[in-house]
Amino acid sequence: MAETAASEQDLVLLARGLVVRSPEVTAMWGRGRAVAPTISAPCARLLGDALAQVWPALWRRGGTQPTTSLCDGGTRRGRIWERHEPVGLTFSVASLQLLRWLLGTSLAAPLTTILPLATAPLTIGDQVLIYLALDAAADPAQAAIAAQPLVRAAPLAWLGFADQLAGPPPAFASLCAGAGAIVVEALAGELASRWRAVELRKRAMTDPRALIALGAAQDATLAGWLAACDAQRRRDLASFVIDAAAPLFAAQIVPAPALLDPTATLAQRAEARVAAGALLRGVLAWSAWDQAHRGVRFIDDDYAAAQVLLARFEPIQSAGAARAAAWLADLASLAPTTLPPSAATVEAT
Amino acid sequence: MSRAIQVRVSESVVRTIHVEDGVQSPLEMLPILAPERMAELLATELDALGFVRDGNTCKRTAPDGTELTIDLTAATITVRLGASADLEAAADRTGRVGIGGEGAAETKLRAEVLEDIDQQLAARAELLRQAVTAQLEARVADVKQELDRAVGRATIAALTEKASELGRIEEIHEDAVGNVTIRVRL
Repeated sequence: MAETAASEQDLVLLARGLVVRSPEVTAMWGRGRAVAPTISAPCARLLGDALAQVWPALWRRGGTQPTTSLCDGGTRRGRIWERHEPVGLTFSVASLQLLRWLLGTSLAAPLTTILPLATAPLTIGDQVLIYLALDAAADPAQAAIAAQPLVRAAPLAWLGFADQLAGPPPAFASLCAGAGAIVVEALAGELASRWRAVELRKRAMTDPRALIALGAAQDATLAGWLAACDAQRRRDLASFVIDAAAPLFAAQIVPAPALLDPTATLAQRAEARVAAGALLRGVLAWSAWDQAHRGVRFIDDDYAAAQVLLARFEPIQSAGAARAAAWLADLASLAPTTLPPSAATVEAT
Repeated sequence: MSRAIQVRVSESVVRTIHVEDGVQSPLEMLPILAPERMAELLATELDALGFVRDGNTCKRTAPDGTELTIDLTAATITVRLGASADLEAAADRTGRVGIGGEGAAETKLRAEVLEDIDQQLAARAELLRQAVTAQLEARVADVKQELDRAVGRATIAALTEKASELGRIEEIHEDAVGNVTIRVRL
């Protein structure tokens, strides 16, 4: 490594570790080590080299799969670099702030004692780095990272980790065009897996307040994301909702909590069950889109895009949408169907 | 030689506590006729079950105090149960201070006593609330069954009305499990 201070070397190694998904990265952060207030030119160059590997890293996370994207009112099929022109990924000083904060903060400490990471304007590159940090972390470090104002201001963090975040989500428009949309396309498979895992986890949750908060975060995220995709004519970017739900529908796995705390009020427990249906509400929103896509005629301008979106919704279809509606009705019922606790535990683990 | 003074503070409180729990759920009715007509048909069924109609809501209070409210416009069911009780709590604290410190000591001890009483009452109110919740929880399944049957009968009435608009009803047959066949001559 070029002539850099020890703390600068840690910064560079941390950036490289996050990008290549190194398991050693969690051993580097959270020790509250001293970090120099400025970085040298060689360190900045090495950080740039490390972050230049983010696009290939995203391809390795699922971006290489051939699929079809909606582009400029039409469609384009192929691998992600065939579907989109090369576009740069910029990183601002916020990325450096994040890396420094990760190195300089003791993440296992109580949240109230952690120096907050202040919010700042975020580029798409910054958002990706935040996403990678959340991805690499496990509790309690993940909760500490998710609680930071800078992280809560990143729409990509909400798409991937809505279950960890609180408060109103930011606007999602930046992720529906340009580099942001390509990042979301590359991470679509991962996003679907994350949302599906949360659905399974809901079945083992017992605290109604936690489930209400989780459902509120998911509802706000999906509402904001679906609206942004719709406004930018990129409904294909919301496909992860379908990919998350379809296997659950096939296996008849309802996101209903098996046993909520019996000492909580009935009102809280009822609210928690309704909150658990956030992804199902996303599926119903997709179903409404699907009905509109069916009405697009061969002579219409959007025919090709509508056909792509109809194909995306095929794993759900009207039967899946009806099932989502029935599950939501059961979740909101006065006397909902109860699950055996053992089944919920097995599926959640 | 300084002398110690014993300060003893004792408080007793009787507080009227009201606790309440309730749940609201959507009422699912098939849109066979216009919403206003469906609401009327359901209101008729609810009337037979002892509900009292007040505008667009039908209410009934069970002997155990459970309140059922059906909002015919919003199509929601609300089940609510409350309970009130006079809860008594007492606490005392004793401390030793030097001469001149009695006033401050009494203030401090009284604050501790009142906090202790608040905690006792909060714990007992929570127990009362849990009892209310348990009572309500035992009721909601029965309420749901009763309302499901009322909705079912209202649906049959709506279907019959719809069938009569299509032609002359020749036969209405209901089997043992509740399936209804309406034979219509067009």
